[in-house]
Amino acid sequence: MNTERFKIILIVAAVAFTLIFCLSPFIYMLLCAVSRAPDFLLPSKSFGFTLSHFYAAITSESLHFLAFLRNSVIISSISAIISVFCASLAAYAVTRLPWPGKRLFMLVVLALSMFPAVSLIGYLFELMSDLGWINTYLALIFPYVAWTLPLSLWILVSYFAQLPRELDKAALIDGCTRLQLLFRIIFPVAAPGIFSTMLLAFIFAFNEFLFALMLTTDYSARTVPVGIALFEGLHGQLPWGEIMAAAGVSILPVILLTLVFQRRIIQGLMQGAVKE
Amino acid sequence: MSVRSKIADGNRNTVLYVQEFRTAAGFLAPLLFFVLCFILVPVVGTALNSLFLDVTFEPKQFIGFDNYRWLMGDPEFWQSLLFTGLFVLVSVPLEIILGLIIALVLNEPLPLRGFLRAAVLIPWAIPAVVSGRIFELIYNYSYGVANYLLTALPGAPQPVNWLGTETSAFLALVAADVWKTTPFAAVILLAGLAAIPGDLYRQARVDRASGVQRFFKITLPLLKPILIVAFLFRIIDALRIFDIIFVLTGGGPGGTTLSLSLFGYRYLASGDFGYGSAVSMVLFMMAFGLAMSLIRLGRMGQVIE
Repeated sequence: MNTERFKIILIVAAVAFTLIFCLSPFIYMLLCAVSRAPDFLLPSKSFGFTLSHFYAAITSESLHFLAFLRNSVIISSISAIISVFCASLAAYAVTRLPWPGKRLFMLVVLALSMFPAVSLIGYLFELMSDLGWINTYLALIFPYVAWTLPLSLWILVSYFAQLPRELDKAALIDGCTRLQLLFRIIFPVAAPGIFSTMLLAFIFAFNEFLFALMLTTDYSARTVPVGIALFEGLHGQLPWGEIMAAAGVSILPVILLTLVFQRRIIQGLMQGAVKE
Repeated sequence: MSVRSKIADGNRNTVLYVQEFRTAAGFLAPLLFFVLCFILVPVVGTALNSLFLDVTFEPKQFIGFDNYRWLMGDPEFWQSLLFTGLFVLVSVPLEIILGLIIALVLNEPLPLRGFLRAAVLIPWAIPAVVSGRIFELIYNYSYGVANYLLTALPGAPQPVNWLGTETSAFLALVAADVWKTTPFAAVILLAGLAAIPGDLYRQARVDRASGVQRFFKITLPLLKPILIVAFLFRIIDALRIFDIIFVLTGGGPGGTTLSLSLFGYRYLASGDFGYGSAVSMVLFMMAFGLAMSLIRLGRMGQVIE
């Protein structure tokens, strides 16, 4: 009886800790976004609820905050779609077709995902300059596809490995080519897994910072992380309310995706991270 | 079966195999294109660049390993190596311990489990830059919540200039990174917890093992392989820390929180591609070595067979 009660207390404490740990900085951000000024904790100041920071962040001409958001959504979506498409083809080849060196191939791809981004950006900058792509969507989409491919491939291989091979056999006997088989049978059956992978690739691309910092120069291609990082305000004093409002709105896509597809994201991460 | 039809059969199999092999190559081609052009070639390019004196508007000049020799004599390099090492050493164990606690919570069949899991994902889902900005405000000297809580403690300690002194800036960065990355560790460890068969716990309960015993005799030993994977994943990631430092301290105060990534980036961004590439290659070799040990220790890749 006593141990039962102790267990309940322990669990409640652990849940409380988890919630406070994970949510309090996020809630602090939201509070600062809707407060008159971020000094509301000082004894002499009041909170003063206002939405003016959101209004300022969205309408400000010099901030280009909506442009950052648009760039981020377009670049991340296109990158995620291409990445998952290429990874699906490769994952099919890994799980269903005979060729030597599969294991080595998977390990090399895994190793690629651990490369530090800084060891690529110098060369990529020179390459994109030569191509004339600096400060365009292309300069980010191509590296983002490559950057998210290891993750996409590993998750999709473990999804595809679970699909019954009888599917393939039946379709091949019916005279499907491998490509038809992939599009007509595997893609529909694996749609949930493919969708989860795309979500993860989108979030990874959306949050990427170093490539975007190096390969863009202004709001015509700059993404949300770069915009938020370089947000300094015009008048010396940091406009914290506006920064937090802008941050709050610009992370809305990833927050919504996370809340709605929490289960898929956790499954995807678990699938990609640990497979033994 | 006659000899002739056997040969015909063998030929057909070979033909089929070659055909399938071609299909496989075709299916792999798009992935290989992206990975080759935008990851492998850039790394090789960086490695080659590190052997040149390559500054914008100056003719490129081959200088062998001079960049690396200069690096060895550069106190800023040693400072950033030391900082990066210390940062990994302090932040990763914290992330794993907190991640394990959170994973244990998420693994319990609690009401509102979905909400709890979504809440845990939030720090992971938002850009590191945004979490950096939030912590910048948290650490604000005059009105940030960190000093508000600190000065409310019994004995009313003096407010701290969090990002202004060496030790406090280090701790501030660790705290911000721990917040951002612990959920990832938690989810990996959750996968490990979910894989432990429930029978073991039921049997342990029959044998009247206490909760503490169950944790140390069943959970921890069975979690060990995944703990190693989580540790290495986090070490490799923490080694290349960039975003949060760029936003929070920019390497300051006095270059004491300059990570290797930020150190390399500064030279690359200012147009000194040779020296910046040399810094990047040092970091690359460290990450690569760790990635190799991850692959060996984690026995990854068995899923395919």
